[in-house]
Amino acid sequence: MQQRRLGGIVAALALSGGAVLLAPNCAQAVPSFARQTGMACEACHTVFPELTPFGRRFKLNAYTIDNLPQVSDIAQNKDQTLLLNQLPPLSFMFQMSYTSTKSAVPDTQAGTGTVPPDALAKNGQVLFPQQASLFYAGRIAPNLGAFVQMTFDGTSGSFGWDNTDIRYARLATDNFLWGVSFNNNPTVQDVWNTTPAWQTPFDQRSATAPTPGAATALDGGLADAGVAGVSVYGWWNNSIYGEVGMYHSAPAASQALDSTNVDVVDGWAPYWRVAYERQWERNSWQVGAYGVNAKLFPGGGNALSGPTNNFDDWALDTQYQYIGDEHLFTVTATYIDEKQHLDAAFASGASANPSNTLKTYRIGGQYYYQRRYGAALGYFSTTGSEDSLLYAPGVLNGFGNNKPDSNGWVGELDWVPYQNTKIALQYIVYSKYNGASSNYDGFNRNASDNNTLYLLGWLNF
Amino acid sequence: MKKILSLAAAVVLAGSTGAALAQSDAKALVTGVCSACHGPEGHSISPVFPNLAGQPSAYIVLQLDAFRGHLRGDPNAQAYMWGMASQLSDATIQGLADYYAAQKPAAGKPGAAALMAEGRKIFEQGIPSKKVQACAACHGANAEGAQVFPRLAGQHVEYLVAQLEGFKTGTRSNAPIMINEVRDMTAAELRAVATYAASK
Repeated sequence: MQQRRLGGIVAALALSGGAVLLAPNCAQAVPSFARQTGMACEACHTVFPELTPFGRRFKLNAYTIDNLPQVSDIAQNKDQTLLLNQLPPLSFMFQMSYTSTKSAVPDTQAGTGTVPPDALAKNGQVLFPQQASLFYAGRIAPNLGAFVQMTFDGTSGSFGWDNTDIRYARLATDNFLWGVSFNNNPTVQDVWNTTPAWQTPFDQRSATAPTPGAATALDGGLADAGVAGVSVYGWWNNSIYGEVGMYHSAPAASQALDSTNVDVVDGWAPYWRVAYERQWERNSWQVGAYGVNAKLFPGGGNALSGPTNNFDDWALDTQYQYIGDEHLFTVTATYIDEKQHLDAAFASGASANPSNTLKTYRIGGQYYYQRRYGAALGYFSTTGSEDSLLYAPGVLNGFGNNKPDSNGWVGELDWVPYQNTKIALQYIVYSKYNGASSNYDGFNRNASDNNTLYLLGWLNF
Repeated sequence: MKKILSLAAAVVLAGSTGAALAQSDAKALVTGVCSACHGPEGHSISPVFPNLAGQPSAYIVLQLDAFRGHLRGDPNAQAYMWGMASQLSDATIQGLADYYAAQKPAAGKPGAAALMAEGRKIFEQGIPSKKVQACAACHGANAEGAQVFPRLAGQHVEYLVAQLEGFKTGTRSNAPIMINEVRDMTAAELRAVATYAASK
């Protein structure tokens, strides 16, 4: 689960609006799929949440493979009009965590009231839960399945809607499957562990540690803005995948979609995805590309008309997977290139440049022995245009030299005593954070001060 | 456009309308469910999953029944097939078995010469000192199988080795004859005979 900050321009513009919503950011493996299929977690996952080739097919088939007693009905013409699991496919997830940064972060109330200006927060934070989720995940009709997640977020203290992927799929011929997905997070519908919603080993992050401020629209910015989309996909010969979709603003709000919202999509944002996968023996290799183009009204006190900020993203990705009885090995990589045409931000003085670029790449490897003991290593990097207004100095989360660049390493040790239980010990080292290695925020904080130790306990049942 | 039913759908229909429908739906089941692991027409890619094409119908019936009744409990049987077979009717099992028995078997690939030579000797003559019978006696001279004795020709070597080890360690206990045969065989002998049998 990727704990994203509203990134880049999206962040800068959203902050003024003060929008609080529980963004979909936690995609999981769920035991209700195991209950429904009667198959062990290892059928669909190497180790959750990473998917095996069979797991990818299960998802593309709309989560409908089923081996439970059914409540069913047919029409006179024998059309199946109802096919419902006798027991609902429910699951629960509980995460608890401990987070410690190399240096304590500044007290958010520093300099106010009786709190001294140099006050620091206590380092070493326990979250119990960090996150707790209830899932409905399984088939709901003959060709229709749902993955629906409601999450209690320990940091915001509220229940909210999280990842949702409702899909319909069927075979057109023996070797061509097509389907439709309704979802609320671009790439959550994806079946490879390379895209932002799922990338191994970057999918788990502390909910409280600082994270770099700039991210592309694909890398969570659009999902955090609150969107819903529909996409149509095809899967040919177990090797070629194509998908096109569109996302519309769908903020979690009861009032009209008006100027109180921030980052509202102008009409529909097109999304596309192509991929090729080859399997041989115990190996699989995938290469693909994906992208989105979103025109956003800044909102947040501004009318939803006039100039927009246009985020034009394209990305490449690849994944290699080896699944042996003893040894399992995965490498994932993605590169995301974003061009920002900031007509609205530039006109309002929120950005210094009319257009910017932002580029992110991540590469990671993960090894498991007998699906029980694992280790992972990953490198991440984001670079982009210098912009004195968009990337302004500020305590902890600011950009002292006006650059969005961040990079570093993540290392992780995992223990999976049972297929539905994971203990992860992670350490993130930042070589560069929000533009610099030292004094990155303009207030004497160094990138390495944000190095994060994170211990996670993760239960699915 | 073919009408594809989920496994349970096929089972429900099979149960309600009899064997004939089960036969016709077996193909839909194969295409929509089984092929995800066992490949199109029973030719699988990963050696975790056996090739089923050309496997004797009686053997497939026996195994599906064993999965359904939890009589075959090797790790992958439990992980995958206990669930998959749990709702199958006898008629659907027969339909699936007949479908796979009718498919063209995968071609065998020869292994390393030394392994092949040792494997051939065991396959054709057994290991008299260990009271191991010749495999060919039950599985056929060309490892083509017969009735409840499975086809070994064209199978994944890794799959065969895993089964032989399962007989030896007791995780796969639904084949009393094989448990006796492999009891005193070494790991090297198991691999050699698996390599030869799969190559046929």
